Amino acid sequence: MAHLRLMSEKKSEPASGASHVNDLGHVKEATPSLIQVFEPHKASLPPVGAYMREFWSRKRFSLELARFADKAEYLESNLGKVWLVLNPLLLAFVYFLLVTVLRGGSDKAHGFTTLAHILIGLFTFYFAQNVISDGAQSITSGGRLILNQAFPRTLLPLSSAIRSFWQYIPTIPVYIVVVVIGKFFIPKADIHIFSWALLWIPYVTFCLALTAFGMALIFATMNVYFRDTSKLLSYTTRIWLYASPVLWLPEMLHGWHRAILYVNPLGPALSATAEIWIRGHQPTLAQIIGLAVWAVIAMIFGGYFFISRERDFAVRI
Amino acid sequence: MKKNRMLIDMPADLAVRIEDLSITYKINVDTKKTLKNAIMRASKGEKVRMRTVEAVKHMNLDIPHGSVLGIVGANGAGKSTLMRSIAGILPPTEGRITVNGKISTLLALGVGFNPALSGRDNIILGGLASGLTKEEIAAKTDEIARFADLPDGFIDMPVRTYSSGMYGRVAFAVAVAMTPDILLLDEALSAGDAAFKEKSFLRMRELVQEARTIVIVSHALQTVKDLCTHAIWMHKGQILAKGDAGEITEKYLEFLNVGTLPSNLEDF
Ligand SMILES: Nc1ncnc2c1ncn2[C@@H]1O[C@H](COP(=O)(O)OP(=O)(O)OP(=O)(O)O)[C@@H](O)[C@H]1O
Ligand SMILES: [Mg+2]
Repeated sequence: MAHLRLMSEKKSEPASGASHVNDLGHVKEATPSLIQVFEPHKASLPPVGAYMREFWSRKRFSLELARFADKAEYLESNLGKVWLVLNPLLLAFVYFLLVTVLRGGSDKAHGFTTLAHILIGLFTFYFAQNVISDGAQSITSGGRLILNQAFPRTLLPLSSAIRSFWQYIPTIPVYIVVVVIGKFFIPKADIHIFSWALLWIPYVTFCLALTAFGMALIFATMNVYFRDTSKLLSYTTRIWLYASPVLWLPEMLHGWHRAILYVNPLGPALSATAEIWIRGHQPTLAQIIGLAVWAVIAMIFGGYFFISRERDFAVRI
Repeated sequence: MKKNRMLIDMPADLAVRIEDLSITYKINVDTKKTLKNAIMRASKGEKVRMRTVEAVKHMNLDIPHGSVLGIVGANGAGKSTLMRSIAGILPPTEGRITVNGKISTLLALGVGFNPALSGRDNIILGGLASGLTKEEIAAKTDEIARFADLPDGFIDMPVRTYSSGMYGRVAFAVAVAMTPDILLLDEALSAGDAAFKEKSFLRMRELVQEARTIVIVSHALQTVKDLCTHAIWMHKGQILAKGDAGEITEKYLEFLNVGTLPSNLEDF
């Protein structure tokens, strides 16, 4: 087929193409600043460097998207924010009752330690769960934004992750308040409130966030192809909770059973968090390594799976 | 990017070059897209029936800087698909698109505004989505709001209370505010009233004077005639005719009235 060319009436001399004489006789730059090439792909990565640069330069979009989503959600009810904290708090009490009934009760001090353990474990688990399940839906619910704007799609699950983090933050003071009040009534309870080990929290949380984000990328991609993924995910996370050291203590496992703590991507983070908050112990070397390993694995797999397919999203959404 | 420019053979006076472009949609015909269905089918050994729709077929097109190109064609001709691929949203199935310059889009279906938020918040969100920084968009918000010129205080009301014309005004104001090198408009002006149309035409002419490029998809042939220097007529994913905007709209109008393709184009 012949190459069609639309000639501009005021076509400029081809050699100096950068400048342009318009009707008013002004010479203006044609600003050939940025050349982009779009070509076919087969489930392969786009140029990683360029993608990362684009992602980094537009990270602010994620943040604002999260901020505005929050704003939209709580525009009507301010009670919504209270629920975010109240919901896991109440659930923690329910689980606590269940656990103590199952165990046939125990002394006050021990019971309170169990409660604290469930509280911080559940709050942390919900953080990861929200990153994963909200992130998983971020693409399929991104509708018009995805159809009408070109941007690195990883920004959408990132935005969900940011929101989940904001929801996680206020649960920490709630935990501290509960523990402080509890210690006042039950001074024998073996719970450290503040210790140097807390300095490890940023590292642990960061690795946990990366792990959960990487998995969010995997499930978000799957959800584009199979729309029931997010429904399936809600069952999966429940089982996941029972398989995590939240309702039980890591030291209840012995021998090779301890492997469960590390096979579970959230395992090292959850046991390290409990160790830090409850005992005031630094995380073990195995936990520190386990955290980093899961974060790297999740980011590499999730990132590859998502980014190599994200150009398909607009066609399939 | 610099390295790319040396490798890619793109004349400096071109804004967009489309080479042998084909875009195919794959549609899963008879099942819902669920994991359950996929597993059921796999266990029965059935294959998923796929239908392919060739929305754009082997298209070649060069769009020089400073031109206003109109695209006309029947529903389903592939116009929106072409626009999305120029914007980098839909990847080509075959061929290549080279784009030189910053793109701003205002495509069919609207901008993905958040209906619970005010117009002003959505301006910020829209600007960020199209690649402006927070500072840039903050500096421009008032200007955009002034351009959209909504009646008494609506700019601070939730977008869900807007009429479709008001919605269209804000969307257009955002799209032109980022002074794009290439502006892609898909049915963007249809909801605006006469006064706003006038204003947006003026703004687009300004952009063209600055050697910026505009591509317009519209079913309002008068708009195409008034604004565009050139036009193409798309039919079933191919370019049926190209040339002067007045001429093309004439031909297309004739086709719409008579219902048959011009005799010299019958082979399509
Ligand atoms: N998301 C999609 N999935 C599958 N097929 C699609 C999708 N979008 C468009 N198509 C098909 O591609 C073809 C071209 O559609 P397109 O939207 O580009 O047409 P158009 O020229 O913009 O039409 P209109 O004038 O109605 O806006 C149509 O046959 C349509 O059915
Ligand atoms: Mg269309």
